[in-house]
Amino acid sequence: MAVPLLFGSVAIGTSAAILAWRARPNPGATPLVWLLIGQSWWSTCIVFSLSTEAAPEAVFWTKVGWIGVMIVPVAWILFALEYTGRDAYLTRRNVALLSVVPALTVLLALTEEYHGLLYVREAGVTAYGFVLVEQGGIWYAVAAGYTYLLAVLGIVPILGLLSSGATAFRGQSAALIVGVVTPWATNVLYNLGAFPNVGIDPTPIAFAISGVAYLGAIDRFRMFGANPAPAWRARQFLFDHIHEGVVVVDGHDTIVDVNRAAAEILDLDVDRALGASGSDLLPLNEPFRTDGERELLTIGTGSASRSYDVGVSELTDRHGETLGYVFTLHDVTRYLQQRQRLKVLNRVLRHNIRTETNIIQGYAERTSGETAETITQRTERIVEISEKGRDAIDLFEDTVNDREGTSLVGLLEWSLRAAHDAYPAVEFELEYPDEDAAVSEGLSVVVDNLIENAAIHNDGEDRRVTVTAAVDDDRARIRVIDNGPGIDEYELDVLNSGTETPLRHASGLGLWLVKWGTEVIDGSVTFESNRSTGTVVTTTVPVR
Amino acid sequence: MASKTNEPPVSTDAVAPWHAEVPASVVDAGYRFRDVLTYSSTYLVFIAMIEVLTVHLVLSLPLNPAPIVVGLVTFAVYVGDRIADAADDEISSPERSAFVTRHRTLLSVLTAVTYGLAIALSLTGGPLALAITLLPGCFWILYASDWLPSLGSYFRRLKRVLIVNSTIVASAWAIAVVGLPIAFAGAPVTPLAAVVFVYFLVDTFVNTEIPNIRDVEADEAVGVSTLPVVFGVARTRQILYGLDLSLIAFVVLALSSGVLTTAAAAAMLVGLGYALVLAWFVGRNTVPGRLAIAGEAKHLVVFAVLVFTAGI
Repeated sequence: MAVPLLFGSVAIGTSAAILAWRARPNPGATPLVWLLIGQSWWSTCIVFSLSTEAAPEAVFWTKVGWIGVMIVPVAWILFALEYTGRDAYLTRRNVALLSVVPALTVLLALTEEYHGLLYVREAGVTAYGFVLVEQGGIWYAVAAGYTYLLAVLGIVPILGLLSSGATAFRGQSAALIVGVVTPWATNVLYNLGAFPNVGIDPTPIAFAISGVAYLGAIDRFRMFGANPAPAWRARQFLFDHIHEGVVVVDGHDTIVDVNRAAAEILDLDVDRALGASGSDLLPLNEPFRTDGERELLTIGTGSASRSYDVGVSELTDRHGETLGYVFTLHDVTRYLQQRQRLKVLNRVLRHNIRTETNIIQGYAERTSGETAETITQRTERIVEISEKGRDAIDLFEDTVNDREGTSLVGLLEWSLRAAHDAYPAVEFELEYPDEDAAVSEGLSVVVDNLIENAAIHNDGEDRRVTVTAAVDDDRARIRVIDNGPGIDEYELDVLNSGTETPLRHASGLGLWLVKWGTEVIDGSVTFESNRSTGTVVTTTVPVR
Repeated sequence: MASKTNEPPVSTDAVAPWHAEVPASVVDAGYRFRDVLTYSSTYLVFIAMIEVLTVHLVLSLPLNPAPIVVGLVTFAVYVGDRIADAADDEISSPERSAFVTRHRTLLSVLTAVTYGLAIALSLTGGPLALAITLLPGCFWILYASDWLPSLGSYFRRLKRVLIVNSTIVASAWAIAVVGLPIAFAGAPVTPLAAVVFVYFLVDTFVNTEIPNIRDVEADEAVGVSTLPVVFGVARTRQILYGLDLSLIAFVVLALSSGVLTTAAAAAMLVGLGYALVLAWFVGRNTVPGRLAIAGEAKHLVVFAVLVFTAGI
C-alpha cells in the first residue's frame, strides 16, 4: 500500500511543482516549486530505497533523500514569508543562514560512516524483501527540531489569512495548512514511535495529501491568481509614504517607530530616534491628550516656520490596556496662512469699504438731483456686496469655531424678523417644526440669503415667502417657497458647475453663499420650480 | 518528431465535399476531434509511442512502460510549448493559438498532471529512467522558457539560436525514444542502440526544420533563427537532402558492418526514401502544415515496414 501512495505523492508533487513553476513570478511560486521538488525527491529516494534488495543501495538512497528532507522546511518558511508579503526578510544573508543547518545535515548524512552524528544503517529485511533502514543520532534530533521549528514559524503568517474577509485567501491558507501539517504531523508521530510496523518513514506518503492540498490551493482557490502579498506591504507602504508624519511611542514614552514624513518634519535620524523619549522629540506645550483635542506644533522660526496639527490616538490591546500612542503631524501651515489672509480681507470689507462709501455718500449729499441719488444707491450696493463678502468669510470662520450649534427655531425666527423689517411689502410665513433642534450657526447665512433672494426678486402685487422646517432623525429640512418669477436656469447652471469664469458667472454672491454655506455645514440644497410660479428651495442640514 | 505543426482546419474545395451525405452534426464532431488532435498535438503522442515501439522491435527489447512514459511526456512538453508560444503563434498559426488560448487553464493542468504521471511511472524503471524522463522537461526549460534570459544578459532563449534550437529538440527526443526502453529493460547500450540513436537524432532534426519553412515570417518577427530564415527555402531543401542522404549512407554502412539487421535497415531506408520525397516538397506545396504532419507520419510507415519485414 505504501509504495503506490509514494508513486502518487511523486505524481501529484511534480504536477503541482510544474503548475507553481508556471505561476512565477507570483509571490511564493518559486519557493513552492522548491518545496514540491524537495518532497518529491524525498518520496523518489524512498521508492528507490524500497525497490532494491541490496542494502548498500537502500542506504545510499536514504542518505541522498536527506537533500529533499531538508529542502522542504527551508522552502516552506521562504514560501510563507513571500506569499504573505514579508519578502523583505528574504535577503541572501537570511536565506544562507536558514540553509546552514540543512546543508550541515545533508553533509552529515552523506558522511555518516565517519562520525555517526546522524547515522543511516541497514536494520534488516522485511517479509516482502524490503531493506529496512534505521536512522538516528544526535544530529537527527537537531534536524527534526529545526524542521518542526521552521514549520511552525511558517504556519504563523499563513494562520493570519484564515480570518481574511476574502474567501479565496481563507481557502488558500486552509489548504496550505493542511498541506504542511499533514506530513509533519505524520513525521512527529513516526518519530514518537506511533507506526512501529510500517518499516519506513511514512512522511513522504503523507505528501500525497499535501500535494492534493497544494494543487487545490493553486487551482481551486487561485493561489497565484489572487494573492494576499500586497496587503502586508501596503500597510508598511502607507506608513512610510503617507504625507502626515507619524510617531509611535510605547506606554513608557519610548519611540518605537517613526515614518519618513515625521523624520523629515522633525529633522531626525530614524535610527537614532528609535528608543529615544517621545516627549523630548515632540516639544508639545502640554502633556498630550487623547480626547480628540488637537494641539499645534510650530517648527522653525520666521517665514520658514511650519505649523503642524498634532493628533494623538491611543493604541490598546484586546483587553483595552494601553500599549502606546500614535502621534500624527498634519501640516496646517497653508491653512493658517489662508486664515490669516481671510482675516485681513474681513477687516478690509468690514471697515475700509464702509468708511470709503460713507465719504462718497457724504459728498453726494452735498449735491442734489438724479446723479446724487444714483451715486447714493450705487454706494449702498457696494456696501451690500462687501457685507456679503464678509458674510462669506464669517461663514467659514464661524463654522470652524461653531461647536455647540444654535436653535433652529430661534435662527428661523430671527431671519424672518430681519427680512420683515427689510422688506415690509412682502408677506412672510413660518411653519414651525414639530420639535426644535440644534443646527450650525452657518445655516443663518444660508437662510438669510434664501429669504432675501425670494423677497428681493419678487416684483408681483401679492408677494409671499413661506418658510417651513421639519426635523427628521439627524437631519433638519428647511424649505423656502416663494411666488416670484423663479431663479434663472443660467444662474443655477453656474452654481452647479461650481466655478465661474469672466464670461460665465452668477449675478451676485447670494446664491454662492447658499451653496457654500450648505457645503460647509455638510448639508445639501436643491432648487425646483413652484407649482404655479416661483421657486422652492430645500436645504437639508445635519442636526447637532 | 518535429517541434511545430499546424494543419489548417478549413477546406476550400469548390466541389461538393466527400461528406455531403453525412449528417452535419457528425461532420462537425469529426472536425472538432481533428482540431483537438492537431492543435493540442495529441496525434504526436501516438506517433511518439510508435517510435518507442519501433526501438523495442529493432533492439528486441521486452515490452515495458517506456511507450506510455514517452507518450505522456510528449503531450506535456508539446502542449506546454504551445501554451508558452500561444502569443507568438498568433501570426503563423492563428487557429491553434486561439484553441490554446481558449483552453489554456485546462491544458496547463493536463500537461502538469501528465508529466507528473510520467515521472512517477518512470520510477519503476529506476534512476536512469527517471533521469531520461526528466530530460525533455529540462531541455524544454532551456529551449523555450524565459527562465534562462532571466538569469542574465549572457543568455537568451536557445530557441532563437540557429541549429542549437533544432539540435536540442532532436537530442531530447532521440535520448527519450531510444534511451527509455533500454533503461526500463535494464539492457546495455550496444552499437545497434547507437545506430538507432543516430537515426532518430538526424531524422528528428530534419522533421524539426520542415515546419520552419511555413513559419519563416513569424520566426523572423520574433527573432528565431532557423535554417529557412538564415539560408532561404531552396538552400534549406538542399541541406535536408544532404542530411537524409548522409543518413542513408550511415544506415547502409551499419547494415554492411552487421550492426543493423536487414529488416531494421529496410524499414529505415523506406523511411528515408519517404523523407527525401518530403524534402522535395519543401517550399513547393501550398499547405506546409500538412507537410509537417506527413513528416511525423513517416514513423508509422517505418513501423509498418518493420513489422511486415520482421514478420517475414
